[in-house]
Amino acid sequence: MPEKTKKEFQRKTITFCNGTSCMQKGSIDLKNLLRLELEKRGLTEDDVRINISGCLGMCDKGPLMIVNPGYTIYANLKEEDIPIIFKEHIEGDRPVAEFVTDADHLYNRFFRVFGDVGFFGKQMRIALRNCGIIDPESIDDYLSLRGYEALAKVLTEMSPDEVISAVTSSGLRGRGGAGFPTGLKWKFTREAEGIEKYVICNADEGDPGAFMDRSAIEGDPHTVIEGMIIGAYAIGSSKGLIYIRAEYPLAIKRLESAIKAARENGMLGKNILGSDFCFDIEIKLGAGAFVCGEETALIHSIEGSRGMPRPRPPFPSVSGLFGCPTLINNVETWANIPVIIVDGPEWFSSVGTEKSKGTKVFAVAGKVNNTGLVEVPMGTTLREIVYDICGGIPDDKKFKAVQTGGPSGGCLPEKYLDTKIDYESLAAAGSIMGSGGMIVIDEDSCMVGISKFFLEFTQSESCGKCTPCREGTKRMLEILTRITEGKGVEGDIQKLERLGNMIKKASLCGLGQSAPNPVLSTIKNFREEYEEHIRDKRCRAGECKDLLVYEITDKCVGCTACKKVCPTAAITGDAKKMHVIDPEKCVKCGKCFEICKFGAITRS
Amino acid sequence: MRTPLETIRKKRAEAISRIVGKGYLSTKRVYVGMATCEIAAGSDEVMKVFQDAIKGGLSGVYLSQKGCAGRCNLEPTVEVVETGKIPVKYGKIDPVRAKEIIEKHLKRGEVIKEWVIK
Repeated sequence: MPEKTKKEFQRKTITFCNGTSCMQKGSIDLKNLLRLELEKRGLTEDDVRINISGCLGMCDKGPLMIVNPGYTIYANLKEEDIPIIFKEHIEGDRPVAEFVTDADHLYNRFFRVFGDVGFFGKQMRIALRNCGIIDPESIDDYLSLRGYEALAKVLTEMSPDEVISAVTSSGLRGRGGAGFPTGLKWKFTREAEGIEKYVICNADEGDPGAFMDRSAIEGDPHTVIEGMIIGAYAIGSSKGLIYIRAEYPLAIKRLESAIKAARENGMLGKNILGSDFCFDIEIKLGAGAFVCGEETALIHSIEGSRGMPRPRPPFPSVSGLFGCPTLINNVETWANIPVIIVDGPEWFSSVGTEKSKGTKVFAVAGKVNNTGLVEVPMGTTLREIVYDICGGIPDDKKFKAVQTGGPSGGCLPEKYLDTKIDYESLAAAGSIMGSGGMIVIDEDSCMVGISKFFLEFTQSESCGKCTPCREGTKRMLEILTRITEGKGVEGDIQKLERLGNMIKKASLCGLGQSAPNPVLSTIKNFREEYEEHIRDKRCRAGECKDLLVYEITDKCVGCTACKKVCPTAAITGDAKKMHVIDPEKCVKCGKCFEICKFGAITRS
Repeated sequence: MRTPLETIRKKRAEAISRIVGKGYLSTKRVYVGMATCEIAAGSDEVMKVFQDAIKGGLSGVYLSQKGCAGRCNLEPTVEVVETGKIPVKYGKIDPVRAKEIIEKHLKRGEVIKEWVIK
């Protein structure tokens, strides 16, 4: 065979699974061996790309190696196999059948298309497995990727109890944020008695900056529907509802078209796929109140009442919609169900940490180079998300904090960057998993301002039913506002802490119980910033406008540009002479600072 | 009577044959991101460029929409997938770039490297 030109090699990308298990089994040695093979032939990684990936979830088959194009998965590799594969497959385009595994899992099909993009390298796609690779409005696309096979399997060969025990043993926990074991919830709802039982999908995604559920529904609506039908079968329900906010028109449209297609194909309605099981789904639109993401408020909203929470117990699994046992799960939780059924709970529970199984989707926003939707196995560290996946902080700025869990979560400073993502570790660090919002904050952001931003949100979204949340968040916001305006007094921090802890303990629902978290966690981790605001009337990030002092230095050439732009005529001075700012008149709009071409105006 | 599993296997086979019938294997498949975020970034105009090109006689192309892959800062995204080749992922595609993809990549098979997502 004639030697290949460099150009022809360029078409191949080799990915080694770099999960803990594969690493222990020597995946790094294999990678180095492959490099040696390249070197022997005078090739570099520009000719054949060598990548690593996060855990591919087939730990029992490790070490793993994937060759693209073609998405050939080699399993149980040994050092002596590498030269053979190189010669036969990479040089000769003949995959070596005896090392290829035939595992056809649902997950990671995504990587057949996106496997060579660095951003996706440490990700693992289970809930979002089809998002971005299929036409969401084509049921054929979904069916072709083993869609509705989980449902058919359940209806053909599993009893409801077997389904529940599969979900239980998978270790799946609620992805809405609280992390309640899903299987247990299903079991309670199955055991509860009622004339009817309901299944609800909670798609009332309200965290500022979060869009996991919207993307999941817009990218692959059938997965959510399939998960719900399986849940209905397991608990014995015939009626399902998807509660989705009206601000998501495209997601609603795709859900409607998916429900219609599922009905036409016999996956919804009477005698599903020829079985005795009957179930249908209806869409309910929410008006966008944040509190309606809380399950009891959501149920009230569907019933036609005002969306307000009520004390639990009784939990919805016992007494939910119209007093009937109701199974409520979040979009992402439902999207995981078909994978658990088809690929098996053992496989699912092989991904993740001891107490948190599977993956979690995060919407990463803020000061990172690559913002986007990230699905990582539980146990991935925050550092890996911020630096390896999202490419670090732009403009070489310094990392300051990462905020997880949206308005209910906390801010974690640099020392927590190596925290593993799972429910317990994040809680121990002082934040929460939440539904998956993740905001990266750099040195240019004021932590007092950030906590004020989140509290403004929760305060205005408080439903007003219970006093601690209604009045307490208002008072906290007043204190925060005065701190950012330079009117903070000694003792404010202690007041915030006392109020915050009181609201956490005394509020009725999750909204109030978690609303003080951004404030308390920033006080805990960035107390000195609060103290600077109060004592020195100084904001180190320069974000609190009222604390800024503008001054003109002797670099001023007297061009009068600042004088002209000042809206309150606070700047005086003759042309070609140094100008002066009158601090009494200055409203700190910053216009002079922006317009000065000589760097003569300082802001501190 | 068929079991649900047999029914779904039959449905899958039918679905696959319909997709293949539309040219899934034999053509260049073009996926345009059409989630809310992508549309907000202008992907509907990009989609229209491809649709118009097909109406205007561009052949050998299987055009499909897709959901959001998660690359927010590079949207709108377009993928060109061909059986046996590494899929080409383009980022930040506007109508002008879409026309160039049609001319260079779809008609002549030249990958436009500067726009490829790495």
